Amino acid sequence: MGAFTRAVRNLSRRKMRALLVIIALGFSMAIMVSIPAGIVANQEAAQAMTANFNSTMTTTQEEINKTATLIECQTSGQGMFRGGQPGFPPGGMQQQQTYVEESVANEIRSISGVKDVVEFITVSSSETTSETINGPRGRTFTISRPVYTITGVTLNSSFIDDYSILPTNITAGRNLRHGDSGVVLLNSNLTAYFGVGVGDKVEMYGASFTVVGVYDAAGEGRMETRSAYMNITDAQTAAGLTGNVSRLDVYAKNVSDVDSIAEVIGAAYTSLQVTTYKDRLSQIENMQTMYTQTLTSAQATVSQTETVATQEIMMAVVATSLIVLFVMLYTVRERTKEIGTLKAIGFSNWNVMSQFMLEGMLLSLVAGVVGIAIGTVGAPLLSGILLPQISPFGSRGSSQFRPGAANAGNFGNFGILGASTVTVTPSLQTMLIAIGAAVLLGALGSLYPAWRAARTRPAEAMRYE
Amino acid sequence: MSEAVLRTEKLFKTYEMGKRKVPALYDLNLQVNKGEFVAIMGPSGSGKTTLLNVLGCLDKPTSGKMILDEVDVTDLPERQLYKIRRNKIGFIFQTFNLLPYLNAAENVELPMEYGKRSKSERRQETRRLLDLVGLAGRGEHRPQRLSAGEQQRVAIARALANDPAIILADEPTGNLDTENKFEIVKLLGNLNIERGTTIVMVTHDGHVASHSERVLFLKDGKITKEKQGLHLAKKKLACPYCGSKIQPTDEKCPTCRKKLVAAEEEEST
Repeated sequence: MGAFTRAVRNLSRRKMRALLVIIALGFSMAIMVSIPAGIVANQEAAQAMTANFNSTMTTTQEEINKTATLIECQTSGQGMFRGGQPGFPPGGMQQQQTYVEESVANEIRSISGVKDVVEFITVSSSETTSETINGPRGRTFTISRPVYTITGVTLNSSFIDDYSILPTNITAGRNLRHGDSGVVLLNSNLTAYFGVGVGDKVEMYGASFTVVGVYDAAGEGRMETRSAYMNITDAQTAAGLTGNVSRLDVYAKNVSDVDSIAEVIGAAYTSLQVTTYKDRLSQIENMQTMYTQTLTSAQATVSQTETVATQEIMMAVVATSLIVLFVMLYTVRERTKEIGTLKAIGFSNWNVMSQFMLEGMLLSLVAGVVGIAIGTVGAPLLSGILLPQISPFGSRGSSQFRPGAANAGNFGNFGILGASTVTVTPSLQTMLIAIGAAVLLGALGSLYPAWRAARTRPAEAMRYE
Repeated sequence: MSEAVLRTEKLFKTYEMGKRKVPALYDLNLQVNKGEFVAIMGPSGSGKTTLLNVLGCLDKPTSGKMILDEVDVTDLPERQLYKIRRNKIGFIFQTFNLLPYLNAAENVELPMEYGKRSKSERRQETRRLLDLVGLAGRGEHRPQRLSAGEQQRVAIARALANDPAIILADEPTGNLDTENKFEIVKLLGNLNIERGTTIVMVTHDGHVASHSERVLFLKDGKITKEKQGLHLAKKKLACPYCGSKIQPTDEKCPTCRKKLVAAEEEEST
């Protein structure tokens, strides 16, 4: 029969009181456990946001660098069915696609300051489907659109590497590559329409092509476009448009040359609509400003979290100590006669003091374990209630870039700040610290009552009823 | 048998009630010899409990001197007094003062816990003591499952735990019915005779006091009278006057009709 066993017996003697105290202390301890977990979660969320922001900005910057030098030259009707262009008006359907000679590309290449000219041809099937689509404000439209639209791309390996000319979101098979011929990359809408998969053959414009890969059609605008990519020569041959192109992506050597080149092209080829990416650049700059603000606010939330957490933990510490203090004071008062007896039979002041301190510490230890249990289960809830939260946005959509000029309208969909779910789980280290803190607070809270018990004069204690 | 276990010289104890000083013990001189069974009687407020507290080193006298087992304990600090209480004194209380959350054996073992004995020696001694007070086999019972008499027996076993020089009993029969009262006083008498245990017992019950060897009468903090007790245990329940057999509960000898109560009741109330 040691002091520890006596402490356990004493706690279990008044079960209801011990239970209530343990629950009260447990909640205090739960706060102590879940708050650091909440802080860590917030910090991780902020870090994830920063990392995501940085990587997105790097990618964006690269994209700017790539596309800032891009001068897009397209024939009329261009862009209506091109893969990735969002939100085109249904009225555009009626516009007839026109083409220019490939020789134009060579002429443009010879303009001073031009680095590359990438040729595209966009052809749409003559066969159409009639569909009803939902427009704004509940209106519906019946449209007639081609069964598919093919984009023929110059499959030059340096173009593929340097410019975003192909879709990147491949879901099956592979992407197109240098030297591909007789093969086609379909979007998921088109594979669904044809009912084919990778390795199957599809007939387009009367010619047979092998499907080498499938890319995700999501994000290609509101319409469920049915698009395909293939070698430009294949597309030209199949559509009977050999030597024709519908779009030229002109890349300047330097951003400073873009305006002058665009001016020259615009003046020389009136059939081409020439656009530069200056407007997009400013759009991206605006986006950067917005994200910087968001990040600053997230960081402010983290530091605010830490301040609030410090206050709340301090309150929990004080509350725990006070609960132990009052409970132990009450216990000492209640057991005055017992203290007198213990002293009469030869217990030293230290024996008595350590007995009561042990009880206080044991109470807190049990409460600590209960608190960890509550804290682990309720950490997300507790930290949600107690701490300011970082709410990362942009969890919708996907972060991949779409090919070519199609990127412009899609930045709003970027999951730039990622981390849409914040997981709050107390770490093992936090739990061990909490147990240690519980025992320490138990010792602290019971120090004065135990000292009072030890100082009780036995003769007076014996008279106490 | 004249070796003094306990001796007080000019013992004073004064309580201060605000500005008023209340004397509880007044110039008290007392000697208890080894192996003696002394009863202290007195009316309420006569200073019986104060005296017992001072003798038991639970309280300090205001002045005077107290020698316990050849040690002057008068001015010993608390850091030494607890050892005196643990090793030289055994307490028996009116309300038994057993720890309710410990069983009988654990209660008996408690004073030995911080002593020098090993765990197995403590267990062995506990069994021996429980056997001595007639509670062999009852060690596992918690106090609330024992009768009042049995609880006081446990308390007596506990008082004997460290083989003390003296047992101080404060109204040990005060909470007991007649039958248990004499069982306990008989047990104390037997311990005194068979083991030579020195006992100082405070009581206001003359019949109980008559079982002691010497009865001291306390009034206003002073010993006013001293009488020989009948020490009935020593006489193996025989009438000290005619020698015929008596019961512990008998107040008069059934044969010679002489009064067996040593103290006069009126002096103890």
